[in-house]
Amino acid sequence: MTQDKNEIVKGVMAVISQALKVDDRQIHPGSSLIKDLGAESIDFLDIVFRLEKTFKIKIPKGELFPEKILTDARFVKDGRVTSEGILALRQAIPSADWETFSKNPLVADLGEVFTVGMIVDYLSEKLAMVKP
Amino acid sequence: MALVTGGAKGIGAAVVRRLADEGAKVYFTFHTSGAGEAAPKGRVFGFPCDVRKKNDVEAFVGRVLERESRVDVLVNNAGIIRDGLFLALSEEDWEDVWATNLMGTVYFTRAVLRPMILQRGGRIINLSSIVGELGGVGQANYAASKGAVNALTKSLAAEVASKNILVNAVSPGMVNTAMSGAARAAFGEKIKERIPVGSFAEPEEIAEVVAFLASEEARYITGQIITVDGGISLLSRR
Repeated sequence: MTQDKNEIVKGVMAVISQALKVDDRQIHPGSSLIKDLGAESIDFLDIVFRLEKTFKIKIPKGELFPEKILTDARFVKDGRVTSEGILALRQAIPSADWETFSKNPLVADLGEVFTVGMIVDYLSEKLAMVKP
Repeated sequence: MALVTGGAKGIGAAVVRRLADEGAKVYFTFHTSGAGEAAPKGRVFGFPCDVRKKNDVEAFVGRVLERESRVDVLVNNAGIIRDGLFLALSEEDWEDVWATNLMGTVYFTRAVLRPMILQRGGRIINLSSIVGELGGVGQANYAASKGAVNALTKSLAAEVASKNILVNAVSPGMVNTAMSGAARAAFGEKIKERIPVGSFAEPEEIAEVVAFLASEEARYITGQIITVDGGISLLSRR
């Protein structure tokens, strides 16, 4: 069940528009879910549920968005994600841009890593792995 | 469509009848008692389900969702008491009460949140008790479980309000049900004297409040513990 990238982009934009109640004209691949589109923590769950329904896939906990990494004292110190934390994030969510984030890994800026494009990349990879 | 746990008797049965009277299709669970007072008929369906078992709960909610595709209201009513003075309570007394009153609420709530988020709305109404706030002699386990339900209600309400899911609790005092029968039999008139309105609540009076919280009129209420106790908690605070 491989899907054309345009279809994936369209599907992701529709999901984000529904979950965050924003006009899809505001949504671009580089849009940060938190900074640009106003997502809150419950919205990430909403997005996952809607992606699962739209693309008929199962997204395991923590595979698209981090769940418990930021509440682990080993991974966060003084408002910054530790190198161990970045490694854990990189392993858990390889589709995100950790290179840029790791230059100044403030917890407060973590939301900027989660962009529309990152979800599209994640889904493209995930759907490509599903055999027709 | 509404789901009611522990809907075969007492407050649960009154809630089932009340919501059905409002025109809702109601699915309710029962465990040890059989379908009881709220026997299935018309748009009311009763199924056995042990709320303490996560897999049973998920299977039950899954089956309901296959038939209905949405769930508008969840009433977490199933509850038990295992009263005794603190030092007389066994681990089993604690575990039974905790598993039913708190974890049953947790499992059902988890099972309905996904469909409620996807349908962008829903009501969750938890049955608590005034002892959850006031405590009660011989009820440390029950009071702790209801205190936990109150805290769960407030926390979850804050988490999901932006998804138009409203979470509240109804906190009754002494209600004329089989569950409170032992206390009423032992202390009947003495307890009544401590209730400002001078009588026990009937299950229907609690169900009225549940129905209100499930209604459109309650759309701006969330995270609240609504006390329905004839004023007994006013005297307990003096």
